[in-house]
This record gives sequence, C-alpha cells and structure tokens, in this order.
Amino acid sequence: MFETGTFVVSIVTFLILFWLIQRFGFKPLANIMEQRRLHVEKQISDAEQQRAEAEKLLAEQRALLEQARQDARNLLDAARARADEQARSIIAEAQAESQRLLDEARQLIERERTEALNAALQQVAEITVELTSKLLRNHVSETVHKEMLQEAEKQLGELVC
Amino acid sequence: MPAFPYLFANTFFPINLTTIAMMVFAGLVVLIALRIAVRKLDMHPRGFQNVMEWAVEFTATMAKDTMPNEQVVQWIMPLAFTMLIFLFVSNWLGLIATVAIHLHHPVPALGITAEKLSESKGEVMLFDSPTANMSMTLGLAVMVWIIAHARGLRHPKIWLKHFVSPSPLAILEEITNPLTHGMRLYGNIFAGEALIGIFLGIPYLFGWVPTGLPLLLVWLFYSGFVSTIQAYVFSILMCLYIGNKSFEGQTH
Repeated sequence: MFETGTFVVSIVTFLILFWLIQRFGFKPLANIMEQRRLHVEKQISDAEQQRAEAEKLLAEQRALLEQARQDARNLLDAARARADEQARSIIAEAQAESQRLLDEARQLIERERTEALNAALQQVAEITVELTSKLLRNHVSETVHKEMLQEAEKQLGELVC
Repeated sequence: MPAFPYLFANTFFPINLTTIAMMVFAGLVVLIALRIAVRKLDMHPRGFQNVMEWAVEFTATMAKDTMPNEQVVQWIMPLAFTMLIFLFVSNWLGLIATVAIHLHHPVPALGITAEKLSESKGEVMLFDSPTANMSMTLGLAVMVWIIAHARGLRHPKIWLKHFVSPSPLAILEEITNPLTHGMRLYGNIFAGEALIGIFLGIPYLFGWVPTGLPLLLVWLFYSGFVSTIQAYVFSILMCLYIGNKSFEGQTH
C-alpha cells in the first residue's frame, strides 16, 4: 500500500526539519566543537613551541657551562705551568747561588792555603838562614852569605811554583 | 491493522496525516533537545551538551569510516547527524506510546470509510513511529539515493562509467539499494510495533493475570535495541551510498 502523497510529503517534511535542525541545533554545537578543537590545537602547538624553546635554552646553557669548564681548565693549566716555571727558576737560582758560594769558598781556601804556604816558606827560609848562619858564622863572609841566600831563595821559589 | 487519517484519500496522492504529524513531532523533539544542549554553550561541556557532543563525535567517526575524504565528511556531517538522531527519536516514539482512538462513525473527509473502520475494529491510529510507514521510509531512502546521484553527477564521466565497470550488474544495485534501504527500516519498526500491539491484546488469565506482560517486556527491550540499531544502520548506509558516489578523492 504505497502512498505517493506520504512519500513525497515526508521527503519535503524531512528536508524542512533537516534545515531547521542543522541551522538551530547542529551548527552552534559544531561551531563550539570546532572552536574547542582549534583551541586545543593551538595549546598543543604552543606547548610544542615552548618545549622547543626550552630545549634551545638548555642547549645554550649546556654550551655555556662547557665553555666555562673549558676556561677554568685552561686557567688552571696556565697557573700550573706558571708555578712549574717559577719552581724551576727558583731551583736554578738556588743552584747558581750554591755554586757561587762553593766557588767563593774554594777561592778563599786557595788563597788561605797560598798565604799559609808563603808564611811557612818565609819561616823555613828564616830558620834555614838562622841555622845556616849559626853553622857558618865563621866560615862565610858577608858576600858569600848573600850569594848563598840568593841561591836558596831561587831554589825555594822554584819549589813553590 | 488500524486505520489512519488521510488527506486527499481518494486521489492518487493520499497523505498519511499521522505519519507526517509524527515526523514533525519527532523533528521538534530533536530540535528542542538540541536547543537545550546548546542553551549554555561552553568550551568545557557539561551535562546535556556533553551527550550531544558525544553524538556528534559518533557521527563523525561513522562518516569517516565510510567516506572517501575529509571534504565529503564535512559535507555530510549535518545530514548524517540529523538523520541519526531524528531516526533514533522516530523509532523510539512508537515504543514509548502508540495512541489510537475508537471511532464509531466514518469520517469520509479524512479517508476513514466505514469499510476501513470495520477492518480495524474502529481503531484510528494517531500516535506511532513515523518510520513504521513504508512510504515514509522509502521516501527517505529515495531522497538519499537522489542526493548520492546528485553528488555523483558532479563528475559526469566517472558517474557514467561506474555503472558498467567493474560490472553492469551495478545498475541493479541502483534499484535494490534504495528499496532495501527503506524497507529494512520500515520492516524492523513496523514489526516491533505490530508485535507490541499483539502482546497488548493477549487476554488476561481469569480476567486479572497479565499473561502477556513478560513477553511484552522482553519484546519492548528487544525493540528498543532494534530501534537504536536501525537508526544507526540507516545512517551509516546513507553515508556509504553517498560516499560511494562521491568520486572526488577516490583512488579508483
């Protein structure tokens, strides 16, 4: 029992109802949902952007920290090198000083020895002269005595030198 | 089989007044429900707005599953959503209540003749599901068919070609699809209501024991399930048919 009238009029009725429902019911609802979707999308993209920024900052900080560490290491190395240098120079100075002292002492010793030897020679010569003159008082004239003295001095000088 | 009031009953153009009135009523129910939902629109949905947004999401999922591309989905969304909740309300109306009045005198102006009154034992139906009428469901199905082909005709060459390839039997589908599309809905809803009517008519045992009540409850439960499912089935088939004829963005 197909009814043409019901068939056609129900299509028309549905189309009218559809227009009403989509205009006054569906559209506001869809709009707010679309709005929310956009809002959420914006939030997500914002969050992503912020995260990227934070990551960039973190990387920057890391680079800075690395730089600072490097600087500190360099400073430390330089300081250590300087200290080493200083220590070396101090030691060298000390060594030089000690060498100088040693040399001076040696020279002093040498001089003293020479002096002592000279003094001893003087005394030996005097004693020899005295003894010889005592022994030869009577046998030797003044001129012979002088010659003998010169001879003895000459030989002693050879001995010393 | 109850009688219905008709306009132009004896012409080639009889209009079932109950069906049309029930369509309008169902449409108003949907519209009022939606107005309540959007009364205080908020970015943070609560209460009824939440329910309706869930329905929109559900429709969107349904459309995305059956449509070739996002553009068509956006285009079909208002129609799919309206169809889904309109049919849901329509199918449930006949379950919640059917109202029939007893007439003792025929009203020829509304097509209620003495013959029809005697056939229906004087019952004239004034309130039932609009989808329990075959002409109405076929009307919706044919409307979907027209919309689908109107979309298909945006690409006339592909539209012509799709009748013969891959198989000329596709032409047969152009007749069977709208027919089954409409008759499926009508059959399910009409059967549900008819059986409810029969269960209500079971006589009481000893005059007071309602023997039909358990059967009625089980059937009401099942009919509610069927009504909901059929609203979904009709809508998803609509999306499928229109999606099949939306040639833009299709891979083949």
